Amino acid sequence: MDPVLHGLMLVAQPFNLALILAGVLVGVVVGALPGLSSPMAVALLMPFTVTLDPVPAISMLAALYCAGTFGGSITAILINAPGAPPAVATAFDGYPMAKKGEAGRALGMAAVASVIGGVFSLLVFLLATPWLAEVALSFRPPEYFALAVFALSMLATVSGRSPVRNLIAGAVGVLIGTAGIHLTTGVQRFTFGVPELADGIHFVPVLIGLFAMSELLSQSRTLDVLYERITSVVIRLPSRDDFRKVRGPILRSSVIGTFVGILPAEGSTVAAIIGYNEAKRWSKHKGEFGHGAIEGVAGPEAANNAATGGAMVPTLALGIPGSSTTALILAALIMHGFRPGPYLVQQTPEFIYAIFGAMLVANFLFLGIGLAGAKVFSRITMIPPTFLWPSVFVFSMIGAYSFSGSLFDVWVMLAAGIGGFVMNRHGFGPAPLVMGLILGAMVEERLSQSMIMFDNDWLRFFDSPIVVVFFVLTVVGLAWPALAPRFRRRAAPSEPAP
Amino acid sequence: MTSIPGNGGRNGEPEPATRTDIGVTLVILTVALALWLETTTFEAVSTLLAQNIPPEFFPRLVLVTIVVLALVLPFEPLILKRRGARRRSAPIPVMTWMTATLLAAVAASMAWIGTLASMVLACLLLPALWGERRMTRVIPFALLFPGAVALVFSGLLKVPFEPGLLAPLLGVD
Repeated sequence: MDPVLHGLMLVAQPFNLALILAGVLVGVVVGALPGLSSPMAVALLMPFTVTLDPVPAISMLAALYCAGTFGGSITAILINAPGAPPAVATAFDGYPMAKKGEAGRALGMAAVASVIGGVFSLLVFLLATPWLAEVALSFRPPEYFALAVFALSMLATVSGRSPVRNLIAGAVGVLIGTAGIHLTTGVQRFTFGVPELADGIHFVPVLIGLFAMSELLSQSRTLDVLYERITSVVIRLPSRDDFRKVRGPILRSSVIGTFVGILPAEGSTVAAIIGYNEAKRWSKHKGEFGHGAIEGVAGPEAANNAATGGAMVPTLALGIPGSSTTALILAALIMHGFRPGPYLVQQTPEFIYAIFGAMLVANFLFLGIGLAGAKVFSRITMIPPTFLWPSVFVFSMIGAYSFSGSLFDVWVMLAAGIGGFVMNRHGFGPAPLVMGLILGAMVEERLSQSMIMFDNDWLRFFDSPIVVVFFVLTVVGLAWPALAPRFRRRAAPSEPAP
Repeated sequence: MTSIPGNGGRNGEPEPATRTDIGVTLVILTVALALWLETTTFEAVSTLLAQNIPPEFFPRLVLVTIVVLALVLPFEPLILKRRGARRRSAPIPVMTWMTATLLAAVAASMAWIGTLASMVLACLLLPALWGERRMTRVIPFALLFPGAVALVFSGLLKVPFEPGLLAPLLGVD
């Protein structure tokens, strides 16, 4: 049977469709709730998918990823508090529109632009994943090592306060991944006499701690925050005039979002900010931006959802996560016994197409759910934090414990949460650490294999042109944060200094 | 690709290294040194078994990377030529410390009283700590929510729940 058809048939089974619907509902709710995010929801749900078959499990997480990215726009527009970081740019014009009584128009545009961006990126995903996997089949350990190092270097360009802090967080993640028994020699590393550490530190409790517990501790500082909520919401689909205004921004943002998503480590937030800036740059009505421009909603929403499909391409074809949520989906794939990369695409193509199908279904589901239920979802923000966050803690406890039935993992989760909170206060975000944690094992394994191949001669890395290209890209990636301001100043010499 | 413009010194000059940055660097260097010393305690293996890559090689490589990056950290604002007003982060509020302590206490209690009772405890104590005084809402929440979670996850999905050390005394399996 044709693998595409086979994959789509797997998705079409009622149980799988029900789980995709559940993923979409959880995603929209989590996306809409300020403080909760799709990486957190994926981390919390991951341990409970262990008992499921891989197709429904990963389909549900992928659907949650798509819907969570859209869900953030609801609260960004209605209460000026982006439910998720990718919706930050949506609030710039979405909330002013809502204050002008156009909340329904803004929400309708956010939903439609998200779906167009999402579907565009899924088409790219459908075409690019097998092609990229085919290319990657020719990669040997040195090329994989160089690719993983390049992916880690991209952490320097992830949005955040400090590129150096991002790189340090990534390296800390790699270091955490080295704890446990060294596979080649059987030597215990960083176990400190704790028997539970001999198996290494499991992904799941660390991820739950970093995303859920550290956020819970952050929320304990902001219990008195009240949001001004726009209540009169009648969702309106974009008019023909609106479509005429936004077709350019949506198309551009879909391309930008997909491209940014494909880049290792870059995610929906970066895509949304670039999408917003480009919508403004190309607009004939720049003055309207910040005061309720419809293009200011369409641009970032198309871009952030386009990044979801784009980010799945390197995740599945190369085993290199395209964003923090796909890093978690990668961890879930590993948990289900898969080794993401070209062999996964080559040997089980129907699985890849099933994920494609799940994300496609999710896009249309959240369009319907978003349009019909935005008013209901906006009310979710009224759940008091004094009840919401204890619920998150309960799920975190069960999730961490149930993964291997060990109380030690609950302590790992708490330690990761407190550590993540402290690191976050000093500008070290959880996303780079997770990327390092996921990629660390691959870096070490491929480095060891390469050194064996090269008989310990480092210089032979440079025999491969692909390796050289990745090393050059790595240097560019590391230098970019320092070079970018100089390029910008040269491009706009007459602009007054801020 | 996109970096959020951040901190800087007064008068639009690139900001100098701050005590916080230097403090963070010192903490990282101390931890890195301690972990490096830990790598010296790794069991020695023959070159043949290690295949030219001894077990301490990669962790040390990562530690060197961290140390180099940590040394760059105080100079980062100068390298990136950041401008603008620096915002000092407020100290960690007492509520956060108390929340962390409560979470640890609930986690510790799990070994004794089991998952279900510790969930009830969390749902009772955390809202109370965070200032929720409407006990008519807190108590039903603390009983019904963990009960529903237990029913779905332990009953239907067969997710393992810790019975707790006191379970045999209470006659619970």
